[in-house]
Amino acid sequence: MMLPFLIIIPLLGAFSMPIMSLLGEKARNAWAILVSALTLGVASKVFYDVWSTRQLVVYTLGANTPLGKGVNFPIRILWEVDLFGALIALTIAFVGFLAVLYSIEYMKHDTGLDKYYTLILTLELGMLGIVITGDLFNFYVFLEIMSIASYALVAFRNDTWEGIEAGIKYMFVGSLASSFILLGIALLYGQYGTLTMSYLAVKIAQNPTLVGRVALGLLMGGLLFKSGAVPVHMWLSDAHPAAPSSISAMLSGLVIKAGGIYALTRIAFSIYATSINIKTVGWLVIFFGCLTLIVGNAMAVVQTDMKRLFAFSSVGQIGYILLGIGIGLAAYGTKIGDIALAGAIYHTVNHALMKALLFLTAGAVLHEAGTKNLNELSGIAKKMPFTSFAFLVGAAAIVGLPPLNGFASKWLIYESSALYNPFLAAIAVAGTAFCTAAYIRVIFTFFGAPSEAVENAKEPGKAMIVPMLVLITAIIIMGLLPWQINDRIMLPTVDMLKDQLHYVIAVVGGA
Amino acid sequence: MFGYWDALYFIYVLLIGLIISYLVFKWAERSSMGTRRTGNGTKIFLSGEDEDNVVPQFEHLKGYFTGRHTMWGLIRGINRMFIAFRREHTGLLSDYVAYLFITVAIILGVLIIWG
Repeated sequence: MMLPFLIIIPLLGAFSMPIMSLLGEKARNAWAILVSALTLGVASKVFYDVWSTRQLVVYTLGANTPLGKGVNFPIRILWEVDLFGALIALTIAFVGFLAVLYSIEYMKHDTGLDKYYTLILTLELGMLGIVITGDLFNFYVFLEIMSIASYALVAFRNDTWEGIEAGIKYMFVGSLASSFILLGIALLYGQYGTLTMSYLAVKIAQNPTLVGRVALGLLMGGLLFKSGAVPVHMWLSDAHPAAPSSISAMLSGLVIKAGGIYALTRIAFSIYATSINIKTVGWLVIFFGCLTLIVGNAMAVVQTDMKRLFAFSSVGQIGYILLGIGIGLAAYGTKIGDIALAGAIYHTVNHALMKALLFLTAGAVLHEAGTKNLNELSGIAKKMPFTSFAFLVGAAAIVGLPPLNGFASKWLIYESSALYNPFLAAIAVAGTAFCTAAYIRVIFTFFGAPSEAVENAKEPGKAMIVPMLVLITAIIIMGLLPWQINDRIMLPTVDMLKDQLHYVIAVVGGA
Repeated sequence: MFGYWDALYFIYVLLIGLIISYLVFKWAERSSMGTRRTGNGTKIFLSGEDEDNVVPQFEHLKGYFTGRHTMWGLIRGINRMFIAFRREHTGLLSDYVAYLFITVAIILGVLIIWG
């Protein structure tokens, strides 16, 4: 079974990094690329296995069965992967690999790179752990691994106060959000006596209590924070621009998805779907989704710092994803709900690619021109045509311009929200208007008359160009095959995610 | 119920649109009096900040397209909303914590009453 290697490889890679660094810079870089490439290989295999068989993969740590000896309920830590988890794991490994490759050149002049690569692999393994685990406390452990690595990476460049301040603020308020999550898990354990997600689903369905609802509230609050939903998004617009651009790509592209969106969706659908008023939960998520997509996109319009603009844009895009998930919950069991959820999952993957590309282009501009202030970057397109083209593709995709991938996922969300409640679709379109306005300002800046600040700028080296090229290709291909991807990957993912019975039977079926 | 689209249709439409635009452009050029080739006629848009205009003391900004003015109308038109949004983004840690508590409180309230 390949699944354990999804954790073993990055874990081994992260902890052996300081030793490999002793062999020299090239060995360290090669080791980082090798480890992330192998992780990508394993993630692809796990995804293919789950996708081709449509069967959940269950792995018990330290035993053959999750059930205890002589008892008929699960007592061990287990990992349970369905298509949703496998798809997000593949996205994480893919973007993670490109971020490591990009870092080779982007971080070349920085010091302490053994720590940097250790942290980036730890970040990756934390996210991978979140999306494969079937145990709530194990989920919390991976969430903290991911969070602590991201706090450190945000403040990695400690020569500027911006990074340190953002890192400290992120750590402080992030720990508070984690405490809410831990409190929710503790309440569930106290009430139902289990941490296994699938068995918890059975126990809550048998005996829905107020404690269960309070626990869900605490979990939702903490996870909305981790996903950067308004009004708990303010850490994101500080932290993401302050981090090195390769890390910003992972934070905006992956961390808020794995630690926030994925976990929220998993808990709502796999644990609570049949034991709570799901319409209420759905409307709560819709409310925060609408708020997020308006405020995030609107705030992006008035930014002059390019990376801060992208960070606010990430907040806005999380709004679309939350809207899709909210409609998926509120219209649970209907075709509209399925399409909305498919759109949300599709947009999660798409946004990971688009935002990674945009942050990598921002990194290239910052690396070459030495500034990310949009008022100084006029005419960068003449000096960095490829990077500007990459930005153009990323911006067009995130705005939702056909025939790029962002259109397909946004279309599904618009269409399902229009059918569910036209008012929601109107809000979503208004958000896109702001999103377009924000990116048009950057496009005008890039393609204007060259300024002095960009005079000496030139295209970055191959190690930075290649990841951008790969992401451009992925965005265009996904844009040209939208419905094939939707029919063959996204809708089956939704079917598996909604199949709570299958999720439970895969673990306790033998009991 | 759900309309599917083929990405290629958009490329076809784009190509046809480009051809029509080119034909209209050529037609306009033929029938014009030559005003499109000199002075303001060469500019794409006449409104907005003039990038060729050199303001005394600000010569170093000559020819800049900062992008600031491209969405001026939108930003000015709903200025109050932007002011309100920006006012809330104080950067203060205590505000971040307060918003987290408010959010959790709202969710708990809704779930306890209607959950």
